[in-house]
This record gives sequence, structure tokens and C-alpha cells, in this order.
Amino acid sequence: MRDFLNISSRLSGRHGKDIKDNAAFHASSLLRAKARLVMVVTVFMVGYLAISLRLADLTLLRAKPAEDTGLPQDVRPLKKPLRGPIVDRNGNLVATSLAMASVYADTTMIENAPAVARELAAILPDEKEPEILRKLQSGKKFIWIARDITPRQEYKINALGHPGLAFQEEERRIYPEGNLLAHLLGYTDVDGNGIAGIEKAHDADLKAGDKTVRLTIDLRVQHIMHRELSAAMKKFSAKAGVGLVMDVDTGDVISMVSLPDFDPLHPGDARDAAMFPRATLGVYEMGSTFKLFSMAAALDSGRVHFSSEFDATKPLHYGRFTINDYEPKHRFLTVPEIFIYSSNIGTAKMAEYIGTDALKSFYRRMGFFDTVPVDLPERGAPLYPRPWRDINTLTAAFGHGVAVSPLHLVRAAAALVNGGIMIKPHLVQTDEPRRLSPGPEGERVIKPQTSLAVRRLLEMVVAAGTGRKAYVEGYDVGGKTGTAEKNKGGKYEKHLLVSSFLGVYPISNPRYVVLAMLDEPHGTKDTWGFATGGWVAAPVVAKVVEQMAPLYHIPPDFNSHDIVREMAMYLKDAKEGKSLASVGTDR
Amino acid sequence: MSTLSRDRLSLGEKLLSVSWPFVMLITMVACVGFVSLYSAAGGHVEPWAGKQAIRFVIGLAGMIVVSVIDIRWWMRLAYPIFIAVILSLVFVDIKGHIGMGAQRWISIAGLQLQPSEIMKIAIVLALARFFHGATAEDVKNPLFLVMPLGLLAVPVGLVLAQPDLGTAIMLISVAGGMFFIAGVSYWMFGVVIAGGLAMLPVAWHFMHDYQRQRVMIFLNPESDPLGAGYHITQSKIALGSGGVFGKGFLHGTQSHLNFLPEKQTDFIFTLFTEEWGLVGGLALLALFAVIIVYGYFMAFNCQNQFGRLLSTGIIINFSLYIFINIGMVMGLLPVVGVPLPMSSHGGTAMLSVLFGFGLLMSAHVHRDVKVTRRGFDMA
Repeated sequence: MRDFLNISSRLSGRHGKDIKDNAAFHASSLLRAKARLVMVVTVFMVGYLAISLRLADLTLLRAKPAEDTGLPQDVRPLKKPLRGPIVDRNGNLVATSLAMASVYADTTMIENAPAVARELAAILPDEKEPEILRKLQSGKKFIWIARDITPRQEYKINALGHPGLAFQEEERRIYPEGNLLAHLLGYTDVDGNGIAGIEKAHDADLKAGDKTVRLTIDLRVQHIMHRELSAAMKKFSAKAGVGLVMDVDTGDVISMVSLPDFDPLHPGDARDAAMFPRATLGVYEMGSTFKLFSMAAALDSGRVHFSSEFDATKPLHYGRFTINDYEPKHRFLTVPEIFIYSSNIGTAKMAEYIGTDALKSFYRRMGFFDTVPVDLPERGAPLYPRPWRDINTLTAAFGHGVAVSPLHLVRAAAALVNGGIMIKPHLVQTDEPRRLSPGPEGERVIKPQTSLAVRRLLEMVVAAGTGRKAYVEGYDVGGKTGTAEKNKGGKYEKHLLVSSFLGVYPISNPRYVVLAMLDEPHGTKDTWGFATGGWVAAPVVAKVVEQMAPLYHIPPDFNSHDIVREMAMYLKDAKEGKSLASVGTDR
Repeated sequence: MSTLSRDRLSLGEKLLSVSWPFVMLITMVACVGFVSLYSAAGGHVEPWAGKQAIRFVIGLAGMIVVSVIDIRWWMRLAYPIFIAVILSLVFVDIKGHIGMGAQRWISIAGLQLQPSEIMKIAIVLALARFFHGATAEDVKNPLFLVMPLGLLAVPVGLVLAQPDLGTAIMLISVAGGMFFIAGVSYWMFGVVIAGGLAMLPVAWHFMHDYQRQRVMIFLNPESDPLGAGYHITQSKIALGSGGVFGKGFLHGTQSHLNFLPEKQTDFIFTLFTEEWGLVGGLALLALFAVIIVYGYFMAFNCQNQFGRLLSTGIIINFSLYIFINIGMVMGLLPVVGVPLPMSSHGGTAMLSVLFGFGLLMSAHVHRDVKVTRRGFDMA
């Protein structure tokens, strides 16, 4: 009270001045304030009008048909479509989706957690009771109890009637063929997104749910290749293997196997080595199969013919490198001899003769310097020397110094034998008609007569050269062996090999390229300890062709061909009267 | 009873001069709230409508009491109230900080109060008090404005720390309106707005990634379709499904089947319009408009600067509640969590709005009272 009086006495002392001030400031501030008040009112009226218009807009113009049905609407789609299926070229299902449920808990609504955990553990044999209890006592409003449970389990849990337990509809991706197409199909994550292989490449189509993705793969051929390659891998204790079959005209991949493989249902359990899609992502120095391409480059240049001869009398020294033959002949070799005996020296000399530019530009046309244009996320980038020196031309001619994926090799080989047209490999069949006229479509990379010459050479290799083990009675298979020493830390290891056989059949009118490749095979008693392409990979191709040909209605042809007669013109050993059966070296 | 002797009115005379039509309008809006809350509970008084009605009756009585207290007392109490609310804001912030859980409210005698809601009224009181004594020359002086800007900056900072962007924006807007009414020059507004805009990139630069993400979701809730964007989409569907005349009382399917979230608080307007249609929605908007216009008239008729500034601030505050809430449920503004005054379920917002109206009516009852530059004048 005392304070109060003090204040008022202080105020009254200055009363007279305040009156004057008040008068002045009232006059000015009143006008100003009233003008500004009017402006504020105007702004609010405009805002009000905007809100009213918006209300009319929402209620009148955007009125929903829910009015008619009286049913509530939810912006969330009630059900996401299931992920679309994948089938092989004959319509066999290889990937499909099943609707599943996952159960979760709102632990704030769980009473008597130990009892609930006991009940759940009885229904869910895969989940441990203490683990469930720990989750139920976590205090979280959302926690997964179990994912992908069966409809029966869902029914039982629902019947428990606990309000704190709820279900989330989910889908599970199923691969009926298990490991068979593992790398090719890829897999999805728990949320149903494709994260590898076809599942990733065609994720958008598959997610839409209304489309079936049809592969070019023939499940029957895939089975054959998988079985034969697995058997060879086991027999020769190889670390890995790749098998490929491609239609040389359309580029359709009929079979693609990478071993070891994994179960796409449980990709998380697989070892890294098993997850690796070798057929497309792995790049290898292919060794002698590459002679096919340097040979084609030489023949296509027009400067080299079957009767041309190259000096293979002694090892080739180039700087600090020495190029040797596996079984040296110590003489001049004709072009077919170089190919059939798989002479490194002869091939290197031939490449030197046509020159670095010619070889490089040919390899570029073969697609060896780019990733393969195929519909998969897993595509290996080739390795090649940069800068490219002359020595690289010599080694690249017999398949060292350039590393490509098996799919690169098969695609380029298809172009060499189909008449000279580079094709695009296909894994998925598109809706549009592929071709109207027979014959491949694409860019011409070699002359038709070069393609014919290459076919003859391939036929000779199987008839009398390193590829005799690929010979199939009644089927004219042609091909080329390849045995590359693996480069470990900059050094080539004599006993770590990548052995392959690149087969073509029917060689008289090629339809398929078949590749079998084994990584680090070991010789057995049967093969006299040899682990070269001719011994370990050629038989795989022979077995695949033997079983595949009847499926594709390719009739056997037991008529002899004129290849032996033609060989005699160019093979000096044959002229000198030696048995043709012994000319090969199985390299 | 002469008009100039209002400072000596008896209590009875004061009660008579309270603008009862205004009280009736407020009661009508509150009744719309009760009806909607009754519907939101599926045709039950519990748990919302009953409590809300009790709160309203208490608040209304308090409002009448506030309105008959002399305007000069409120002027003297302006700064103490402001400081008390600041302290409680600090208390709430600290309480959140030292790990007792992030809370926006404090408990006083069993009542849970949100200081940030009361601050919306306290800032109006404080700024009205400050600008009351200002002359036209004072307001033109930029240095003079440092003090009121400080009065604004402290609560805004505290509210942002909670963090409660919606309240911060409302505080700044209300203060902006009062600065404007007080006569601050246009060019100063220009400088502050331009400066604020120029600071945005700088602030953006110093923010962490997660903070930027929050801002982005705040600006574009549709980027979070199952979170805030989901609310808005559902709200628009519910509004649209109401049509011209609505689905009828207690027949709003979207809200009753729980597609509409927060139907009893922030989205009460949607529930109301789904059931009563465009006609009902416009009627409620009209009711609010009448209250606002009535309020402006009261402000206009105030003969003293303090009462005028106070009334205008209260009305701006009330209008902002309505704009932000209705703009929000119709997808015109981002979701910031501002209730619809008198209708949304919630205690502090209703009490602070009624307290504000009490002050507004006090200014009206004492519209002819002379208030000196320093406030109380016992002579």
C-alpha cells in the first residue's frame, strides 16, 4: 500500500506535462492508427475470401463419389499388386510372389508380456521365447515379432486376440528352380525391390505386377548345362565354372550358368564367391580362344590367306618378353596350322604383320573394349592395356593382356560365325517381333567369306586339332580351345589355368555358340594330368550339344564332310603322311 | 453516467456495459465446438465435449472478471505477466532439456498449461504497453524499436527451442501487426523483411542435414505421404465428401472411421464440414468473421492507445488462429499444429483465447478512460 501511494504521488507531480503530451500524441496516433487498422482489416478480409473460396472449391468441385456409396475412402491402396512373375522362353515359371504376413507388436498395448511371449513361441517355432519376450518388453510402439509367417500361423496369432499384436501384409519372392538361375534372376530385398539380376533390371515392370517377364533362357538347356558343368567342376576340382549357350542369329541367351551358385531364396547365406555372376561380371584373359579373333582380323584384312606362312622356328623375343609354343614345331606354319596347333609364336607374328591398328580396331568392333550391351546390372568392364604398346598386340593376339567377360566372348564368336553381323545379346524376350527376314540384324563386322573361313578353321580344330574331345558323332561341332595361365600379382602361374572351349554347331550352318569354361581345374588320371581346355572343357560342350540338339530338332548328319580333304591342303604333317589323329596337341 | 467518467464506473455499471452480444457470439462458436466434439466421440459427451464445456464455463466466467478489471491495471500488469510467462517458458525448456521428457506444458494446481499459448496474449500486452507511450517521432526512430524487438525475440527464441515453429510464426505475425498499427514506417518493415529473407540462405548454410530435411518436410508435407501429407490428403477427401449440405450430424464417415487423424483437435473443422457441408463451413466462417469485425469495431472505438493496440493484437491473434488452422486443414498451409479457437479440444488454447477476449472487452468497457503515458493516473 505504501508503494502504491509512492507511485501515485510521483505520477501526480508530473501531471501537468502529461496532459499536454497526451493531447499531442492522441491527435497524431489516432489518425495514424485508424488508417492502419483499416488496412489490416482489408488484408484479413482478402484472406477470409480466399479461405471461403477454397472451402467451396474443396466441397463443390472436388466432391468425391464417396458421397454416393457412403463408404469411406483411404488414400492408401488397400493392396499393392504382387510382384510380377518371370518365366523361361517356354513359359515355365522361374520366379513368382506369394502373399505373406508379418506380425508386429505395439508393446505399449501388451499386458502380461511373458504370457504373450509363451503363446507366440508355441505358434512360431523359428522364434525363441526369451527373444520374443525381450521384444515385447522393449517399450516400443512398433517392433517386428516375426516376418513372413504362414497363413496358419497368422490365423492362430489372430485368434489369440491380443490387441497389441498386428499384421503387415507382405510378399515373399519364390524361385521354384532354386539355384538353377540364381545369378541371372538375381533377388529382391525384404521390401520387394529387385536388387540384382533380372529382378533389378526389370524392377519397374515387375513391380507394376501386371506384366510377365519372359526370359530367352530355355530351362531344359539350362538344366543340361548346369548338370554337365557341375559334373566337370567336381571331376576336375575346379574353383568355378561358366557355361553359356547363345543363338547366333538373334542373340538370345539360351543358357547361362555361373558356378558356384546360391539359393536366391536365401541370398544372405551365400558366400561372396558364390554370389559372383561370373558369366557377365567376371572378366578373364581368355587365352587361345582369342586366336579366333586375331585370325579373323588377319583374314578379314585381305592380307593373310590360308596359304600364308609364318615363322615359328624359334621362340619370339620381344624386349624382355619371350613368346613360346606349348608344343613347338620349329618350322614355318600355314595359317590353319597356326590355328589348329594353337601356335602362340605364329599368331603373334601374324598380328605383327597386320599391325597394331588393324588388330585394335578389330577388337573394338568385336566389342572387347566396352561393356556388353545386355539387360543386366552386373556387367563387367573389360580390361585392356592402356597405353597399348606393340608388345600388347602380340600377346593380345593369343588372348593375354586383354580380359573380357564370357558373354563378350560368346557374343563376338556369334558374330564371326553368323555371317559377320554383330548382335546384341538378349536375356528377355521383347514384345515386338524380333525379325521379319531370316538372318541376324546388327552391324556388319566382317565379310561373309571371312565368316566362312573362320567356320572351316573351327571345324578343323575339332576334326584334327586341340578340340577333338568336343567331337560328337553325327553333329558337326566346330570350336576352339583356350587355356590361359592366370595372372597372379603380375606373374603368370603355370598351374593356375582358365580352361575353356568355345563350340559352334552345326558348323556347316551355325545356330548356337556353346561356351564351357573352368577356373583352376586340376588334371585327373583320366586326362593324364592335363587340365587344358581340350581335356576339361571340350567334353562339356560335346555333352551339352549331344543332349540339346534333339530338343531343337537338329537332325544328326553322318555324311562325311570335305574338311579332312581341305585340311590336307594346308597341314604339312598330313602331307607328310602322318596320321591326322595325332596332329593335335590338346593345348 | 457520463462517457468521460468511465474510470469511476461501479461494478454493476461495468457489467452492464460489457458487450453481451459479443459474449453470445463466442458462446455460439463454443457450441459448434461442443457439437463437433460430441460427434467426434461417436455421439458421446465423453471424453471431449463434456470437459470442453466445463472448461468453457470456467473460462467464460474468468473472461467476464477480466473484462471488468480496469484497463489501467492490465497496463500495469503487462510487464509482470510477460516476465512470468517468459520464466515459465524457460522452465519448460529446461525441464525438457534435463531429460524429464520434452514437454510444452507446466502443471499449476492440477491444470496443465502451455506457456507458449499464454505467450500469444502476453506478447500483445507487453507490446501494447510499450507502444502506448510512444509518439510519432519515437516510432520513426529505429533505435526506439530495439526494445520491442527484444521483447519479441526472447519468447520467439524460447518457443523455437521447444521446438514449436507454429507458435513462433504466430508470435512474429501478431507482433508485426502491432508494430504496423503502432505506426512503424513502411521502410522499416521493408528492411526487416528483406533482411530476414537475406538471412535465410545463411541460416540454411549453417543448418545440419537433418534440420534441412525437417524444413523440407515442413515446407512440403506431400513429400512424406504417410506422415503429415497423409493427414492433409485425408482432410481434403473428408471436406470434399461433405458436399454442399454435408452428410448430416454424426454421419461423417471419414472422421468416424478414423481415416481423419486428430479429428478432435487440429482437424475439427474438417469433421464439422464433412457433416454440415459447405453451408455449415461457411456459416462457421461467417460467425468467426462477425467476431473479428466486432473486435475491430471495439478496437476502433478505443480512445486510448493502449486499449486500441491491445484490442487489435488480440483480434489479429484470433484471426491468425483461424487462418492458420483452416488454411492447414484445407491444404493451403503446411501442417504446423495450430488449434481452431473455441472449437478444438484443448484447455490452454481456449483459456488463453478467452483471457484475450476478456482483455478486449476490458478495453471496450474502459474505452473512454484516459490513460497517461506511464499508465496509472489516480488523479
